[in-house]
Amino acid sequence: MIPAATRYERATDVEHALELLGEPDAKAIAGGQSLIPVMKLRIARPSLVVDISRLELRGIEERDGALHVGPLTTWADLVDAELPVGLEAITECAREVGDLQVRNLGTIGGSIVHADPASDMPAVLLALGARLAIRSPEGVRDVALADVLVGPFTTALGPQDLVTDVVVPTPAAGSGSAYASVEHPASGFALVGAAALASPGDETVALTGVGATPFVLDGDPREAIAAAEIFGDRFASEEYRRELALVVAERALESARARSGR
Amino acid sequence: MSELIGVARPRLDAPDKVTGATRYAADGYVHGLLHARPVLATEAHARIRGIDGSAALALPGVVAVLAASDFPIASAGTDRTSEPLARHEVVFAGQPVALVVGESEAAAEDGAEAVLVDYDALPAVVDVEAAMDVGAPLARTVEETDDEAGDLESIHAGVDHGQADDPAEELSGNVLDRITREEGDVAAAFASSAAIVEGTFRTPWVHQAYLEPQVCTAWLEPSGTLVVSTSTQGSFVTQRELARAFDLPLDRVRVIAEPLGGAFGGKFALIEPLAVGAALALKRPVRLVLTRSEDFQATNPASAQVTRLKIGARADGTLTGIEARMIVDRGSNAGWGVEGISSLLVAGPYNWEAHDLRGYGVQTNRFTFGAYRAPGAPTAAFALESLLDEVARALGLDPIELRLKNAAVEGDVAVSGNPYPVIGVREVLERIREHPLWAERDSLPENEGIGMAAGHWPGGLEPAAAVCRVDSDGTMTVVTSAADMSGVNSGFAIIAAAAFGLSPDKIRVVSADTSSGPYAGGSGGSKVTYTVGAAVLRAAESARQKVLAAASQELEIAPDDLEVEDGIVRAVGAPDRSITVEELAKKALRFGGRYEPIEGHGGSAQTSGAPSVAAHLSHVRIDRDTGEVELLRHVIAQDVGRALNPALVEGQMRGGVAQGMGWALYEELAHDEEGRLLTGSFLDYAIPTAERIPEIETLIVEVPAPDGPFGAKGIGEAPVVGAPAAIANAVAAAAGTRLYELPLTPPRVWKALRS
Repeated sequence: MIPAATRYERATDVEHALELLGEPDAKAIAGGQSLIPVMKLRIARPSLVVDISRLELRGIEERDGALHVGPLTTWADLVDAELPVGLEAITECAREVGDLQVRNLGTIGGSIVHADPASDMPAVLLALGARLAIRSPEGVRDVALADVLVGPFTTALGPQDLVTDVVVPTPAAGSGSAYASVEHPASGFALVGAAALASPGDETVALTGVGATPFVLDGDPREAIAAAEIFGDRFASEEYRRELALVVAERALESARARSGR
Repeated sequence: MSELIGVARPRLDAPDKVTGATRYAADGYVHGLLHARPVLATEAHARIRGIDGSAALALPGVVAVLAASDFPIASAGTDRTSEPLARHEVVFAGQPVALVVGESEAAAEDGAEAVLVDYDALPAVVDVEAAMDVGAPLARTVEETDDEAGDLESIHAGVDHGQADDPAEELSGNVLDRITREEGDVAAAFASSAAIVEGTFRTPWVHQAYLEPQVCTAWLEPSGTLVVSTSTQGSFVTQRELARAFDLPLDRVRVIAEPLGGAFGGKFALIEPLAVGAALALKRPVRLVLTRSEDFQATNPASAQVTRLKIGARADGTLTGIEARMIVDRGSNAGWGVEGISSLLVAGPYNWEAHDLRGYGVQTNRFTFGAYRAPGAPTAAFALESLLDEVARALGLDPIELRLKNAAVEGDVAVSGNPYPVIGVREVLERIREHPLWAERDSLPENEGIGMAAGHWPGGLEPAAAVCRVDSDGTMTVVTSAADMSGVNSGFAIIAAAAFGLSPDKIRVVSADTSSGPYAGGSGGSKVTYTVGAAVLRAAESARQKVLAAASQELEIAPDDLEVEDGIVRAVGAPDRSITVEELAKKALRFGGRYEPIEGHGGSAQTSGAPSVAAHLSHVRIDRDTGEVELLRHVIAQDVGRALNPALVEGQMRGGVAQGMGWALYEELAHDEEGRLLTGSFLDYAIPTAERIPEIETLIVEVPAPDGPFGAKGIGEAPVVGAPAAIANAVAAAAGTRLYELPLTPPRVWKALRS
């Protein structure tokens, strides 16, 4: 439980961070709630740890029809924030992440780029149609979250890509959202989690914990779950997870509909 | 001063522990300390072809890479003391195969990572039932004798080995031990029964999950004495084990039992030989602190068990026959297993007309079996108490009434062949029968259930001694060598206070090491309060005689006419004629003093056990869609003999229930087919946490133990025994179907609800 030797630099601004991240095997650290444990297990052994925790990328702001969440925004910040109607799932999900200490340090950006296939918030953000602003030495680009999450602990981001904004469209009036999950009794990670957005004339459900990445269900949730590729392991079989997916999807939808006023 | 008994008070070590002032075994400063990191086997069963430490040795700060042959071990055998590092054959994944020692922990860790071990894989024996079949591959191919590990077995419960083996039963060499206990005609008993029920029950390997991982520091004094500062439950047993392994005279081994950060049976001379072997090889102080994941892999959890049980009862609920086949997975432990105690306890604290109980200790390539709070008992109670509920259902009887009808009382003969001493089975069952929760069980909302179960622990015995010394300020120091586990020192303080006549806040309790302390066995087997406590009582009484003798001379009153209360010696009936203990102590403890030091020594050698029984009521709700079980409420009634300090007793009861909840719902050490651990961290291995543990109502029942200090007895193990069974019975009531395998995880419950 002692990390391999590494160097440490604190980035003073985004440009500096990008420059530092140019070093092979450099790794950005914010809250450290995912990176430090894997470093302690020596699964990750970065040559350089680039501390981005003091960059001005923290905060929640509603503008231009979207909620802009800085990637360094902590779970605790999200729990405490007053979010627009329709984004209840974000609060509901953030509240359940880890424990108080984890929520005080862990960040939304860290959770996204860690790309744990069973993490909760990416599913919520997928259901809400979130996009990311990504800075690289070449400039800023805007990418759908779904295009960033490509596999377990794997993203489409390059080594010098830094998420600078998490953009969640403000749902139409009369919308509600919710997150429901069944947790692994040890890790607290979702065996299956479902996020739902119920908007007038439209419903979206995203699942986590069942495959390589969280994903949005296409079409009728029941049919989509029946057809989905679902992963099973020693603790929870594929059959059980598929059943749980139906249960939590239904629970999330019901709750989202109730919040939307239906 | 018996009014001191039964008052709830904070435990003596609470302020230091709560404020972080306690120095645990990993905290002590030792000059020139080196740090060790283990290299753990990645194969469950293999021959070691070679260990290459050259890359590790080339790293900065790495001092040594040690293999088995580098340790100056004298004892033969394959027990963990004699073979702290695998010699030729690895017998479980996680077994230490090498030790890297560095100037810092980080350097040692870098080194451990760089050690290359060349394995020649052998078939891994992971299925305990298949391992018993004639012709099954053996979990250990090297034949080595192992007759010397008896010391560790005796700590927990001296259990006889029953009768002769059944010669007709042909089993593989993996079966290391067979226990047979037969009495009466079981077939006839079943024939006379109105209900016969049976089932095969499975419980997994379960880890003690102490907060403080295993840790030990060892060094040589300039005089050549080996000093071992360690997180252990037993200093003298560790001393003996180390002296045996390294062929050292006992007096050259000094073991210090540091404040424990949790143990639950898992800390009896396990990693000490690793630190000691390195310290002796390198002649420098060495500390080994296991990480959590190493602790999961390399230590000694509770055995997995498979229990085939069949019981019968007549229409009026009288229990007739019991037939059990208990298969115990010992892993690599050739020295002892729980098949003896488990096949006794499976009969419960009930009377039977005939029994045929068999236990099998089987070696596999999983862990090394070790003790965990009431070893072998939660599994036994899970099987029996589940079937008792089935009998009650079949006969239309109230489950508590069924148990009451068959409850053992003092003098009844147990399946061990020995008569029961005083035992409070009836008392605890009656207590939960009166509880309002029991009456609610027929009017519950859908998906809720209430279950009950009982469980007992016979209580261990071991001679012990203690010293009570009054200091010149009138306070008393109680000295024992018992590791302060579960608050036993705080119990000693009350015993000494009451027996001597001093306020408990004037008493400190010291846990001495093996070089200076009076003898005490390990803190285990629910025997410390009963045996060491009795020694403290006698030591305090002896010190009281000394203070009376001194006061008698000072006051010119016969000792018989004096009493001691709250630190003052008074004439009976003439309270104005008095002198304080402090004044007397000052007169004694000085140059030219006139009185013998006010100091007493006491010993005990209890011959009669003091079993403790607990009965449980458990209330659960299940989620039929997901299989999740929520424990809503739990009630425990336990016969504790006499509650010296109810706050501590209730703490033990709550802790037992919480760990029972772990057995019932969460805990399982699982391996893959190759014998590699799948649940080697708290990300995979679930324990009950504060968030999930509901209100636990504790009902103290006092049936005094005749030989216990003020009627007290050991109470640490009994509360866990019946808890898993009660929760399982509640789940069966809520689900309408019974599960025969623990833990009752959501996927298992979900599956059972579907079939």
